[in-house]
Amino acid sequence: MNGASLQLPRPAVALWPLLPALVLLPLTLLLPALVHGGGWDLLGRFALAALRPSFEPVVLRSLLQGLAITVGTALLGWAASLLLGLTLGIASARVVWQTLAGASWPALLIRRLLAIPRAIHELLWGLLLLQVIGLQPAVAVLAIALPFGALVARVVGDQIDSLPLRNLEALRAAGASAPGALLTCLGPPLLPLLLSYSGYRFECALRSATLLGVFGLGGLGTELRLTLQSLAFAELWSGLWLLLLTMLLLEAAVSGLRHRWAMPLRFSAAAAGVGRQGRELLLAALALIPLLVAVAWGLRLHPGQLLHWQGLPPLGQPQWQAVAALPWFQLILNTLLLTALAAAVAVGCAPLLLLLAAPWRPARWVLQAFWALGRLWPPPLTALLLLFVLQPGVLTGALAIGFHNLGILGRLLLEAAAAADAGPAQALELAGSGPRLALLYGRFSGLARPYLAYGAYRADVILRESVVVGLVGATGLGSQLLEALSGFAWDQLAALVLAYVLLTLLGEALSDRLRQRLSEPR
Amino acid sequence: MSHLLELERVTVPGRGRPRLDQVTLRLTAGERVALIGASGAGKSTLIAVANGLLNPAEGQVLWQGRPPARQGRRRRLQQSRIGTLWQDLRLVEELSVQQTLNAGRLASWGWPRALLNLLLPLETGACRELMERLDLDPALLCQPVSALSGGQRQRVALGRLLRQDPQLLLADEPLASLDPRLAADLLSLLLRQGQAPRALLLSLHRPDLLHGFDRVVGLRQGRVRFDLSVPEGGSAALAPHLEQLYAGATRP
Repeated sequence: MNGASLQLPRPAVALWPLLPALVLLPLTLLLPALVHGGGWDLLGRFALAALRPSFEPVVLRSLLQGLAITVGTALLGWAASLLLGLTLGIASARVVWQTLAGASWPALLIRRLLAIPRAIHELLWGLLLLQVIGLQPAVAVLAIALPFGALVARVVGDQIDSLPLRNLEALRAAGASAPGALLTCLGPPLLPLLLSYSGYRFECALRSATLLGVFGLGGLGTELRLTLQSLAFAELWSGLWLLLLTMLLLEAAVSGLRHRWAMPLRFSAAAAGVGRQGRELLLAALALIPLLVAVAWGLRLHPGQLLHWQGLPPLGQPQWQAVAALPWFQLILNTLLLTALAAAVAVGCAPLLLLLAAPWRPARWVLQAFWALGRLWPPPLTALLLLFVLQPGVLTGALAIGFHNLGILGRLLLEAAAAADAGPAQALELAGSGPRLALLYGRFSGLARPYLAYGAYRADVILRESVVVGLVGATGLGSQLLEALSGFAWDQLAALVLAYVLLTLLGEALSDRLRQRLSEPR
Repeated sequence: MSHLLELERVTVPGRGRPRLDQVTLRLTAGERVALIGASGAGKSTLIAVANGLLNPAEGQVLWQGRPPARQGRRRRLQQSRIGTLWQDLRLVEELSVQQTLNAGRLASWGWPRALLNLLLPLETGACRELMERLDLDPALLCQPVSALSGGQRQRVALGRLLRQDPQLLLADEPLASLDPRLAADLLSLLLRQGQAPRALLLSLHRPDLLHGFDRVVGLRQGRVRFDLSVPEGGSAALAPHLEQLYAGATRP
């Protein structure tokens, strides 16, 4: 930096998280043009029904059944993805290959290959598998396990490779065997990270299982979509409240376990016995196995069925000319526009809303409830709701995905703000600055970089996710893809999936670079 | 004469024994009071009660004769008249020095100016003048706080306090981590700032720096052991009191 010389004014770090919220200005100008007169009364009925959910036994029984299927699917998919991810993650770590085989290129190769399953959204996996092996519970489980496994593998591989290697070298120099040295040096530092991350993945798995249900793969999601489409709002809300309760319980349980197992012990007053944590973990892992078997049994999941491939519909001659004639530029542009809009809404609104709600405790509770709803609500359902009053299109899709991710980012921001050093903000508030400015100056300054780095990662997820709002039409590759799927135009399908994969990989590379720049100190 | 700060039989509970035990203390305008005592005597707690960070379990705090408002505009106005130089400084590392100095004005600035301060250099003249008073190079104004040295940070924190222009200045062990020359400079700056109509309450654990204060208050185990005016000749006359204050306590 060239210190004192004249430079263009550049906003202070504290303002960075708020900049994406500027997208709200054009949005508020554009939205009125999109509103069609139709469904305000429907939307009103929907909102009112929140206070009057249905308690009919028939409804509740079917919802609970759906919930059981969704949670079971999430659990199985999550467990399989962890197993897959851990194995592949270790196999894609350079250190591991270097230590065991003396060369690191296989790690890079595996890493490259894993990018492909990762780039395909779980919904696409689900719909593709559905075509191949028919409707069975295993479809949803596999659809979650495959992309999540590849994601976990990437995180595990990255984590292993970012650990300091001096201890490993020391042990190797002292004559320890390669596998023993790897396990001793990399296992302990990896475990807390892994625990914390796998807890987060379970929350994701529950959201994905619900989403897959919305597209007909069974469970609560299916119920939610059916009730919404038949405008049975009271029943819809029973399902939503049930899901909210489950999600909040799960989040509380995950964060409780995370604190118990993954946090350093120095914060707790009572000294825990050596190995107590390890024993607890082992017991939990052992208890998980019969649970998983029972769940698989309950879902009537039979591994044998996976081998029964159903006859694909006759594949016609590929018509590449028709594929090439698709409006590719428009499709890609719309997809990118949707991603950018949704990401800006999500990333910018979370700090903005937090700032607005800062002075009043009840307002913060309302905000937290709003965010919880956003997290739990599958974006396609939001999109369908928005269609009551908005015309289909990129903006509608972006709002739906933006709302969902706002819930995720908002919670993260709140947690980070609570965990950050309170000193500077407190000092400002005690000098009379008021709670909002204290939050802005005192906390956002420090949070801005990590928050935006996570936002960049989230933008990446949103790009993949843009397929799920394809059903509200005219949203780019997503809607074209769903169309091709329903007509099983396999040539189009292949081209579109390829386009998605390429786009996602490009986006990933971009967001990685952005994240690196954000994490560099100035 | 009205008091800038009054603590009436203030008690703050702690583990085992109270952190403050029935403490009564009054400060009038123009008074510069040193608060001394060993580590753990309750100096930081007393400062925290005085600036409103802690609410005492018992007793009363009055700022300019009024109890602290619960929330809102009136509380902010009250807080803006009390400035604290924190032991750990509590600077926002990511802001530039100029933004940090201007952060002292946040109580009187509205939203728009507070936002503008994050975008553009505001009130550069006043900030430059302040930097010169603090014996800092004005070129540092556009540097981030994280790039400053320890002594510079201390002075920037003081600068933020001076920008706030409070009537009651509180300082929690501001001299603890400074070399003797810096400590003397900072102390004389603070003492000058504490003249009427303002007042200064400064905690320290070095009895050799009492020169220039009007009063000295000794704390031990959460209780006020003495509250005396500092004699002209310096601290020699206080020696027996000080000995009693530190007796049996391990000096840090």
